[in-house]
Amino acid sequence: MDEIRLLLVDDEISFLNPIAKRLKKRGYIAELATSGEEALSALEKRAADVVVLDVKMPGMNGIETLQQIKSKYPDTEVILLTGQASTQDGVEGIKSGAFDYLTKPIELEHLIGKIRQAYDKILHKEEKRKEAEFRSRLEQQMIATERLASLGTLATGVAHEINNPLAIIKESAGYMALLLTKKEMADFSHRKQFELAIGKIETAIERARRITHKLLGFVKKNESVFSEVNLRELIDETVQLVYREAANKDIEIVHNTGDQPFVIRSDPYQLRQVLINLLTNAIHATGSMGNITLSLEAANGMVVLTVKDTGVGIPRENLEKIFEPFFSTKSPGQGTGLGLFVTHNIIKKLGGTIDVESTVGKGTTFKIRLPEYYEMKPGISETDQENWFAKLKMNL
Amino acid sequence: MIKIPIRVMIVDDEEDFVEMLSLRLEEVGERMTKAYNGMQCLNLLEEKDHDVVILDIKMPGMDGIETLREIKKRFPLVEVIMLTGHGTTETAVEGMKLGAYDYLMKPADFEELQEKLHGARQKKEEQEERIRKAEARLLLRKSGDI
Repeated sequence: MDEIRLLLVDDEISFLNPIAKRLKKRGYIAELATSGEEALSALEKRAADVVVLDVKMPGMNGIETLQQIKSKYPDTEVILLTGQASTQDGVEGIKSGAFDYLTKPIELEHLIGKIRQAYDKILHKEEKRKEAEFRSRLEQQMIATERLASLGTLATGVAHEINNPLAIIKESAGYMALLLTKKEMADFSHRKQFELAIGKIETAIERARRITHKLLGFVKKNESVFSEVNLRELIDETVQLVYREAANKDIEIVHNTGDQPFVIRSDPYQLRQVLINLLTNAIHATGSMGNITLSLEAANGMVVLTVKDTGVGIPRENLEKIFEPFFSTKSPGQGTGLGLFVTHNIIKKLGGTIDVESTVGKGTTFKIRLPEYYEMKPGISETDQENWFAKLKMNL
Repeated sequence: MIKIPIRVMIVDDEEDFVEMLSLRLEEVGERMTKAYNGMQCLNLLEEKDHDVVILDIKMPGMDGIETLREIKKRFPLVEVIMLTGHGTTETAVEGMKLGAYDYLMKPADFEELQEKLHGARQKKEEQEERIRKAEARLLLRKSGDI
């Protein structure tokens, strides 16, 4: 039986005690109070679900107490007890928010029935509140997903448009650099400065190009190559690629992947990109002597891949933004702000989900859930592999 | 060694790009022709022999793929390098299936472009060489008949 938190309030202790005793026999534990003031201070110490309240009391009367209870604890239900001659009080009480009223002398069965009804109302309200909360959370999630999608469309549109002027700048700078190497220019007094400036232009072009290409990299429609992927091997191979970077910072990469091969049907190249993104982020976030733990688990048709670091962590206010394009906490030129955006998109495309948990100062955990078997429309293969390798080179 | 210039035509609706890339390639010794749309490209090919066409995929009017089809139909020996500002490699791949030599993503790396230009020219020369030999054999066989 549910433990209903019950408070009985009546100025006549001789009335309270026997009822409390009989209620206890039936399994209802009640606290007692002999005045409105006492009832309020009791509620302050311990909240109640249902309050059974006598209307006629010296000092603060029942109606007043009821109003105070309802204003302070709107979720608490109150059952009023009225004298036979004063049922008008009960009606008054219901108007002020009481659940119902009972006329003295009361029958125990009657009282218990009312208490149960009041408690059911509370449960019902709670259920509704949870449902509303769930719905609003779902809506928020949908809004976030849609926003990501539209941001992505916008970002790729911008990337398309930027590429053309970028090509013009690049050719112009390249042409100037070429002219500077000519014999006639040997005596040109500002040659060094020109070379320096052109060098800066070229570096900046390269930076912009990296961004646009990364952005355009995942808009391609049919690019996935599905095959059997042994996740354990994939992890081992990928760790090899970032191993040096981790070793330089004295970061230990721990494999918690067991001996069992975790074979799923998915896109190995895209998964590797995801892993590289997560591992590089983890390495950047983790200080020396820290560690990064990779683990694999299987759970009803899904495989869970976890990348956990002991790094600086992500502040709460940033957690919602990390999957947005161009969100980066690295200094300009260090990160494109696209790694996790791309990662999120890939995982979504592969039928999986990605979650993040983080505590500032303790570390961050990324959890990827992937279906063991997932089929997508067949697409082109080799060129995308080439692309992927080009991207990989860029990332390293 | 004397460098034999590659006869290159660059086709792109971005006039500034065409102008700068031509200047730059001329500077390294190539012979450049500029065209700003597919039609102009075909007309210029008609007028003068070229080795390689650098062709932008995305152009208003007659687009790169259409232009490529026409080039390959009318001037099968001319090699084509596709330029894509799209990032959509599918179109570039389609182009290669239609006979393009290779493709480059904009903004392209200059060294890479030069390599591809030389590769394309070499391919064209080898093909022309084979044709010359075949013609010679043909001629020989014919005269042998007499």
